Amino acid sequence: MNKLDLLRLANKNLWRRKGRTILTMIGVFIGTSSIVIMLSLGIGIKENQRRDLERWGSLNIIRVYSGVRFDDQGNPLGEANQLDDNAVNEIKQMEGVVGVSPAYEFGGEASWGRKRGYIQLIGVDPSQLENLEVSISEGRLFTPTDRYCIVVGSQVINNFMDERAMRRGIYIPPTNTDPKEMLNQRIAVTVQNSWGEKGQKKVFNFQVVGIMDEKNMERSMEAYASIEDIKKMRDFMLKVSNNYPQQGIMAGGRNSNSQARKSSQKQEENYSFIIVRTKDVAYTKKVSQALRDAGYNAYSIADALEGIEQSSKIIQAIFGGIGGITLLVAAIGITNTMVMSIYERTREIGIMKVIGASFADIRTMFLAEAGLIGFMGGGAGLLFSYLASYFINKLAVNYINMGMPMEEGAVKISIISPWLALFAIGFSILIGLISGLYPANRAIKLSPIKAIRNE
Amino acid sequence: MGSIIRLKSLTKKYKIGGEVITALNNVNLEIAQGEFICILGTSGSGKTTLLNITAGLERPTKGSVIINGVELSKVKEKDMAVFRRKYMGFIFQSYNLIPSLTALENATLPLIFSGVGIKERNKRAKELLVELGLGNRLFNKPTQMSGGQQQRVAIARALINNPEIIFADEPTGNLDSKTTNEIMELLIKLVKEKNRTLIMVTHDLELAQYADRVVHMVDGEVKKISVREETDYA
Repeated sequence: MNKLDLLRLANKNLWRRKGRTILTMIGVFIGTSSIVIMLSLGIGIKENQRRDLERWGSLNIIRVYSGVRFDDQGNPLGEANQLDDNAVNEIKQMEGVVGVSPAYEFGGEASWGRKRGYIQLIGVDPSQLENLEVSISEGRLFTPTDRYCIVVGSQVINNFMDERAMRRGIYIPPTNTDPKEMLNQRIAVTVQNSWGEKGQKKVFNFQVVGIMDEKNMERSMEAYASIEDIKKMRDFMLKVSNNYPQQGIMAGGRNSNSQARKSSQKQEENYSFIIVRTKDVAYTKKVSQALRDAGYNAYSIADALEGIEQSSKIIQAIFGGIGGITLLVAAIGITNTMVMSIYERTREIGIMKVIGASFADIRTMFLAEAGLIGFMGGGAGLLFSYLASYFINKLAVNYINMGMPMEEGAVKISIISPWLALFAIGFSILIGLISGLYPANRAIKLSPIKAIRNE
Repeated sequence: MGSIIRLKSLTKKYKIGGEVITALNNVNLEIAQGEFICILGTSGSGKTTLLNITAGLERPTKGSVIINGVELSKVKEKDMAVFRRKYMGFIFQSYNLIPSLTALENATLPLIFSGVGIKERNKRAKELLVELGLGNRLFNKPTQMSGGQQQRVAIARALINNPEIIFADEPTGNLDSKTTNEIMELLIKLVKEKNRTLIMVTHDLELAQYADRVVHMVDGEVKKISVREETDYA
């Protein structure tokens, strides 16, 4: 039997009992709508949590620290991996990694004109800036040839306060300042080491060439500079006088003295951390795990996703389950309708068998009818769900979006993804087909002679 | 001309309650290609059972039905559909049209199951229905047609696949005598034209006059077989 003829015949048969067919479809309609709306809320919740997270930082960035892993009893497992160039190269080779930069971190006092404050400097490979998702709202990024140039986060300006005003006891709360004020300004960072009796002081001057945009809150307090410059600062700071071998004395012996020197030298060459940028969140998780397995400490905002995803899965399961029960009831409705329809059409089925309908023809005909009920009910349910979702979001906007930054756009609490829509249609057809199996097999078993006699 | 149907010692027993009823008892019959056989008998004589078993709608308790050299008991129930589609057409007393389909669609139904395309289907059905005098009733539903018209649609349905054998179970039982004659003449004309075999069951002696041979059934047994000499229907 030709497929098109089959569908046409099934459709025709279906509309012989309009009322009953429509009532059965309403069952599927309600079932599908409730599943789709429930799941769309689940997806919405997940998306919102994810967006909240992303405000804190990119989900594609991992910070790798050296660290020792511990077993269940708290005993260290091997030695901590060194964060050196080998480590950087090793990480570069990992699948899904698109950018890697070693980083030196330096925090210290700084002054900007009459203002004094604190600055957190992070030295990174200038060629990797864009790869690491450092983006600017004002000014420009620094290039590998720039010396002592920095880009600062939007909140850095709030770390600086007017010295004279402070001395006079006037406290101006450091808010509502325009980060643009820092552009092209000079920041002087003073570094002290313990060389000699009193130690030495040196001032490093940095030029602010760019202001980072507000995409990542995580970075808003940080300033980025070329790793070369920060290394120079660190080298100066860590320079320890030969006459004053502090660590050696504390360790209490000549032998250990040389050893301490060695290890401190080694420490100097190690980076503070390594910044890794991955292709996407999935890789962030994979790479983080691989790094941990390799004996590093790896942190990313995406770590928090795991828990969120877990809880949203549970929410979705509960929501989906509620919808599922409705659809189950609808499925029983389809079976019921089809069984009744077969009772009514016993004779007709017999005739069809006598005039040459095969088992497969009869089965597919009834399955097609049941599937059509599922499809039409499901389709209508999906359309209704889109409508309901639209209104839910419209209503919710007034409550949820209050106090949110404008450019974030409307928060949606109900999201019907294309996959959900496809799933809904496919699932309702499947439900129809499954519900039709039992009636269809009953129809096959009808003896044609008995069916004809039934007058 | 060889036999298209061979019935060998057919016996059919039913169990109704605790009682065993013999509907058919050792029936032997050979039917030739192109023959018009009438099975005549009163109700309960086993004539319809004989028809049903011959058509493979029922299984005999004993004996065998051989159609075109194929033994029906060896054909699986599943494959009977294809077999029927190829070899058999059916006409019933109560027409048995599908109420939701038009005359044209009812007539084409066997072709739908055979997977014939819609154009070819409709062309063949239209020709046949026009021949049967239903040219202006193609798109009417069974309920909008008279008994005679409905039966003509049923005849079209039975013939559309060009089956070797037509089975007719009291085809005019619900019709008045005028329509009965019309229908019978149409049916016989079409069957003879195409050299098809017609097996008709009836209790009506008058109708039996049309047949080449009449099989008289009494209490499940073949009482006698009478052959008609003259061919005045032609």
